[in-house]
Amino acid sequence: MASLFLHNIWLVPFYSLIGAALSVIWFPSITRRTGPRPAGYINAFMTLLTFVHAVLALPAVWGQLPYEVSFQWLDVAGLSLSIPVNISVVTVSAIALISGMNLLAQVFAFGYLEMDWGWARFFSLLAIFEAGMTALVLCDSLFFSYMILEILTLGTYLLVGFWFNQPLVVTGARDAFLTKRVGDLFLLMAVVALYPLAGTWDFSELAEWTKTAQVDPTVITLIALGLIAGPMGKCAQFPLHLWLDEAMEGPIPSTILRNSVVVATGAWVLVKLQPVLALSPVALSFATWIGSVTAVGGSLIALAQIDIKRTLSYLVSAYMGIVFIAVSTGFTKAALLLVLTHAVAIALLVMSIGGIIWNSITQDVTQLGGLWSRRPISGLAFIFGTLGLIAFPPFGSFWAIQELADGLQDTQPWLVGVLLLVNALTAFGLTRVFCLVFCGEAKQMSQRSPEVHWPMMLPMTVLLGFTLHVPLVLQASSLLPSWAEMSKDIALLFTWSSIFGCSLSAIVYLGKTIPKPVHFPSKVLQDLVAYDFYTPKLYRSSVVVTVDLISRLTSWFDKYFVDGIVNLFGLATIFGGQSLRYSTSGQSQFYALTILLGITMLGLFLCFPFLSHMALVVTASLLQQSVG
Amino acid sequence: MQLQYFLILAAALFCIGIYGLINSRNAVRVLMSVELMLNAVNLNLMAFSSYLDPQSVKGQVFTVFVIAIAAAEAAVGLAIVLAIYRNRDTVDMEQFNLLKW
Repeated sequence: MASLFLHNIWLVPFYSLIGAALSVIWFPSITRRTGPRPAGYINAFMTLLTFVHAVLALPAVWGQLPYEVSFQWLDVAGLSLSIPVNISVVTVSAIALISGMNLLAQVFAFGYLEMDWGWARFFSLLAIFEAGMTALVLCDSLFFSYMILEILTLGTYLLVGFWFNQPLVVTGARDAFLTKRVGDLFLLMAVVALYPLAGTWDFSELAEWTKTAQVDPTVITLIALGLIAGPMGKCAQFPLHLWLDEAMEGPIPSTILRNSVVVATGAWVLVKLQPVLALSPVALSFATWIGSVTAVGGSLIALAQIDIKRTLSYLVSAYMGIVFIAVSTGFTKAALLLVLTHAVAIALLVMSIGGIIWNSITQDVTQLGGLWSRRPISGLAFIFGTLGLIAFPPFGSFWAIQELADGLQDTQPWLVGVLLLVNALTAFGLTRVFCLVFCGEAKQMSQRSPEVHWPMMLPMTVLLGFTLHVPLVLQASSLLPSWAEMSKDIALLFTWSSIFGCSLSAIVYLGKTIPKPVHFPSKVLQDLVAYDFYTPKLYRSSVVVTVDLISRLTSWFDKYFVDGIVNLFGLATIFGGQSLRYSTSGQSQFYALTILLGITMLGLFLCFPFLSHMALVVTASLLQQSVG
Repeated sequence: MQLQYFLILAAALFCIGIYGLINSRNAVRVLMSVELMLNAVNLNLMAFSSYLDPQSVKGQVFTVFVIAIAAAEAAVGLAIVLAIYRNRDTVDMEQFNLLKW
């Protein structure tokens, strides 16, 4: 029975696609009678089917070696492309995670979009996302992964731009699309360049190929950099990070999904590509640097945000940065572990603040406060989301970060330092949000802010429970690093860094000694961090200005030079016609002259051979006469 | 007396006719120039007939035809000139340019 589900696991993406297709029929004439809700229920049901399918297939795949099924897609002129489907424990559990997350997000959306009329659109987009992600984890080919990533890019655009009547939403969606496009463009270059070298796009065959590959170091470095660029855009790494922040303009349920699993698609592809990246040390250190800078920068920026959603958005970049570090140093298992634990924890955090946004008057953390007594479940969810995200034993991310740090301590100890710093900063930042939102006196804006209704509470509590059980799940699937091999010093260090970050933050934001509102010691530093290191300004003054200038120049060139040449021909023809018409004088005598001249010319032309001959004869006779 | 002299004379007459045809402003003078040209043609025909074909005198027959046609043409031409004159009160050729651009 279970193996039947396993063999048909490739059907999974189609469930959500069917759901998406079915919600299309909820067009206005139907929606007017039924309300928009049935579309959501259909999609949630399809997601449930996916989830159940994946969970039922899990026992069959447990302990099995991964195997591949292949579907022919294109066979022309010697180029044969088939879609390889990789079935393994990792992919099936990834599908379970994705569909489970999506199910929770959809149930959350039942509550969050209670008054919204865009249900069909929203849920079908979520379904397309789910289909894309499940297809991505199943698909074992770089080429099709690229295609799916593009579909996800489009999905992000549509989902962020869900409330398209607000200008910030429109710019946010646009920026998300363009930023990811930049990454995808480089990725496409690398994907195309890789094929002639490796002769395959299948991840498993690529991994085989890298073992014996003999390639020019420059070429493989360029390709690897291109391959990194795609995930950089997806995972919102510096310098392609701004979109994730702006994507917070979209609805919260999609944010839950995006921050937990959609950004992880980039990490997934990166993990799959690790053997290829490992061919180029330059690319590896590039990824390490990008990851470190993003991790530190992201967690720093998160400290100074006052928008409650944006306090979380940069942490996602930061944790994806850690995944980058893990992949570039070769700890793909730790990377996947971190993706799992991060997805669960950040989704819980987003759900918690999503409820707060839903029925509080403001999103500004400085104007919220004292919500602990009013909404304890959200508070608990936030606490355990925080603990699950930072390295705090025995919760989720501790084990992932621990495993990574364990491996790094001998080779690159400075990266352990980076991890410690990021961990402490994240702990500080999340505790800050908790203190500002849940502790202290209730401020004017948060006086009336009760706990939200059950469709949002239910997924939050379910996820809360799951977050608490993540270590047990890890243990059951024997993913935990063994306690005996673990470095206790590192574990202690991370635990202390978490405790230090949390308690320092609590002292700063709850203690009476520091005047409120809390400021950074230096105004310059605070502005630098609060304005995202001035990256928006930097982009506006560099990339945007340059593109604007170039487009103006080309527009000018096109308008005045290219069009000018064409118009010149037109004008010349008009001028020619206008001036030639004066030859039509209207006088019959002139016409007679023209005819006569024409005939004379024609006659001369026709007689030219005879005339020239005659001229010769005349000259000869003249010469003869003069001689004679 | 040679054939060429007649031909040259006829050509000269033809040229004068053309000159008159194109340059005259008076419509009647244009018609007269046409008559000159026809006469030049007649001269040619007569010359060829006498020098090259003295037996069957086809040229002379042609000449008779041309004279007849010329008379007819002159009649029609003058009628046209008269018709135009009645409409436009002038025989100045430069006034008849209704079809200019």
